[in-house]
Amino acid sequence: MKIFLIILQLLFFTAVAPFLSGLITKLKNNFRMRQGPGILQPYFNLAKLFRKGEVVSATSSWIFKAAPYVVISSALTAALCIPVFIFPAPLNHAGDFLAVIFIFALGRFFLALAALDTASSFGGMGASREMFISSLVEPALCLTVFSIFLQFGSTSLSAFSGIHAVSIAALIAALALFLVTIAETSRIPVDNQETHLELTMVHEAMVLEYSGRPLALIEMALHVKQMVWFFLIAQLIFPITAFSPGASVFLWCAWYFVRIFIIVLAVALVEVSVAKMRLFRVADFLGFIFVLGVIGSICAMLGV
Amino acid sequence: MDGSEIISAVKKVFPEFNPLSAALDYPDELRIKIQPQDFKAVCLELHKILSSPVMTLFAVDERKRKNVFTVIAVFLNLKQGQWVSVEMDLAPENPDFDSLSRSIHSASLFEREVWEMFGITPKGNPDLRSLNLHDEVWPQGNFPLRKDFKAAAGNLSEYKFNRVEGSGIFEVPVGPVHAGIIGPGHFRFSCAGEPIVNLELRLGFTHRGVEKLFEGKTCAEALTLAECISGDSVFAYSSAFALAAEKISGVCVPEKAAYLRGIFIELERLYNHAGDIGGIALDVGFSFPSAYASLIREAVLQLNELLTNSRYLKKINAIGGVNADIDAAKQILLSRSLAKIKKDFRELTQMLKFSVSFMDRVDTTGTLIRKTAQDLGVVGFTARASGIPMDLRKHFSGVYRQAKFKMATEEGGDVLARLNLRFTEFAESLRLIEEFLSRLSRGGEILTPPQPKEAAALGYAEGARGPVLCWLKTDAQGRIERCKITDPSSHNWQALGYAVLGNIIPDFPLCNKSFNLSYPGNDL
Repeated sequence: MKIFLIILQLLFFTAVAPFLSGLITKLKNNFRMRQGPGILQPYFNLAKLFRKGEVVSATSSWIFKAAPYVVISSALTAALCIPVFIFPAPLNHAGDFLAVIFIFALGRFFLALAALDTASSFGGMGASREMFISSLVEPALCLTVFSIFLQFGSTSLSAFSGIHAVSIAALIAALALFLVTIAETSRIPVDNQETHLELTMVHEAMVLEYSGRPLALIEMALHVKQMVWFFLIAQLIFPITAFSPGASVFLWCAWYFVRIFIIVLAVALVEVSVAKMRLFRVADFLGFIFVLGVIGSICAMLGV
Repeated sequence: MDGSEIISAVKKVFPEFNPLSAALDYPDELRIKIQPQDFKAVCLELHKILSSPVMTLFAVDERKRKNVFTVIAVFLNLKQGQWVSVEMDLAPENPDFDSLSRSIHSASLFEREVWEMFGITPKGNPDLRSLNLHDEVWPQGNFPLRKDFKAAAGNLSEYKFNRVEGSGIFEVPVGPVHAGIIGPGHFRFSCAGEPIVNLELRLGFTHRGVEKLFEGKTCAEALTLAECISGDSVFAYSSAFALAAEKISGVCVPEKAAYLRGIFIELERLYNHAGDIGGIALDVGFSFPSAYASLIREAVLQLNELLTNSRYLKKINAIGGVNADIDAAKQILLSRSLAKIKKDFRELTQMLKFSVSFMDRVDTTGTLIRKTAQDLGVVGFTARASGIPMDLRKHFSGVYRQAKFKMATEEGGDVLARLNLRFTEFAESLRLIEEFLSRLSRGGEILTPPQPKEAAALGYAEGARGPVLCWLKTDAQGRIERCKITDPSSHNWQALGYAVLGNIIPDFPLCNKSFNLSYPGNDL
């Protein structure tokens, strides 16, 4: 039964995650008065990449080859740590919110190593920028977790997924998480997924040397990572309990996905309405998240 | 104004100066012929008196007729609206002349070009590395713009970049193949962390030998070629070329055609400026205004097509006039479309100016200070954004004077200044088109067939990027002997290398876009 649930959740994440990315792209293009690629485009991209061969730099080591697998495994492991259909989550015993943060950090660390491994100048720039950003994201994130922990008495994801009411502290934590999600999924104003300007890239610069199947894995990991964050934020702002036998299945499912759609919409709106920040301004942005974390903790201590 | 003033001014500081001849062939062109040994001193004085950079410097192979190489340096007299060219004849064997580049920096690239195209040595130029004929593919000793040029085999070598040494300095090579659809150029950054310590540009990857292609063609044939030099400055190029050809053959352009040219060149400026503004927004990831700007650009292009059947205004200019007419119906259409464009543009301006995140990116980014701009001989809107009041539309008589053209300048020299300048110029262009429209007289477009004549003249036009120069020399049959094209980009590319110093690498694309330089205009 447990194995079945794990497989189900893995399938759910890998099947739905690219859809959310496609949806964001579609919404963004519609906001800009453009048609844009279809919502299913990420699936076509993945299918294309899976079919293609890869080119590996002769100067790279095993790290370059191993990194995509570490990245995809870390993303999927994190996905198993959060409760989606059932409480507790399939891998509830494996780790709490803090663990999720550091599972993601593992993937990022390997990606940065791989970027340095090929010794291309863009890879080096991307890795250095990514580490600069993540070194600021992680403390802010930990503080946010702290505020959640104070509120629910546990850092376990299943525990805070069991909540029913919205509090100010939860809203602040959700806002902080939302901003972190923007930084973590390399979106404007921190990074720009759509850019063709190699000199401005952060995440894209790191994966510039990848092609074919490994690139598909890395892209898939990014989709999954984004979906994990969306689910966590949704649970904080729009808490939902496990499906109880008496309720309407349709309504429950509809509400479940409408919450996610609202977050997708917010991300798309943010992306078209501001310009990308200057690289060193990102420190201010992430500092703001840190301050949010502090305020959230105070609110949680005051019990509001 | 016959140039005697300028010559006596030069004589005041340089008493031995005795020009071989000084002639005002055309009201806007003073040609001073001098001895080669006076060249450096005279140019330096003109540079100071006129406070003009070397606008262009080139050689002409006259060995067949006069057994000399002629080298010509052109300066701009802003006050009088006049071009001052200094010419000298050099011996055909081992030709050389005293380099200007140590005193006038703006001459250095032109001298390198003269060296690689003609094998004429600028004595004392510290940097004679090849510009457009890359050492990796062009064997040494090939001088393609000589009339007797035949490609010869020889040694290939490798280009040497300037190196910045020191701990913590690393090099980032970018290009010539880029991720986006832009021209090819190689950028060699030397960085300490993110800040740029040095940037060296290497261009010339699309060198097509345009100037050689001109030779032997009639002016009518060559006009089409001139239109193809730079795809987004079609009308500026055709105007500059047509003006040169008209000056040579003594054709007087009818008033109506002059106004029509004014309208078309301003339309070209409109679509270029709108495109640039959108590009700047896109390069900072501000996609909504960028999409908005591309709508405006497209509206102007469609307007071009409605008026002339050509989105990029090709085949409109002719020597002696224009092939397109704007009749009453089209005038109404044009006015209506412009009103709509004006409204959209105002909204775009508001959108960008009131966005804190956007203004934060452009303000104080990529500053080109006035002194640097002057020394490098920067021209066009880049110069105006750094506080140098230079605009051919202002300084030369013609339709712009009647329309009371107001030149825009900015002081900042940063991306914001270049952006604001475009805003102002866009509005001014809209006003100019309206003004020109109201002055369009009826009829009067007679195309006098140009008479072949052996003569030389300089044609010019202020395109969207800046002054486009076209120096043309024809033989008695009216065939082109030499055509020297100078694009504003060839002056301004170097300035980009200075504007980005101290900025961080991720801001480079933004600085680059704010200059929006042309690869094909540079890689002739």
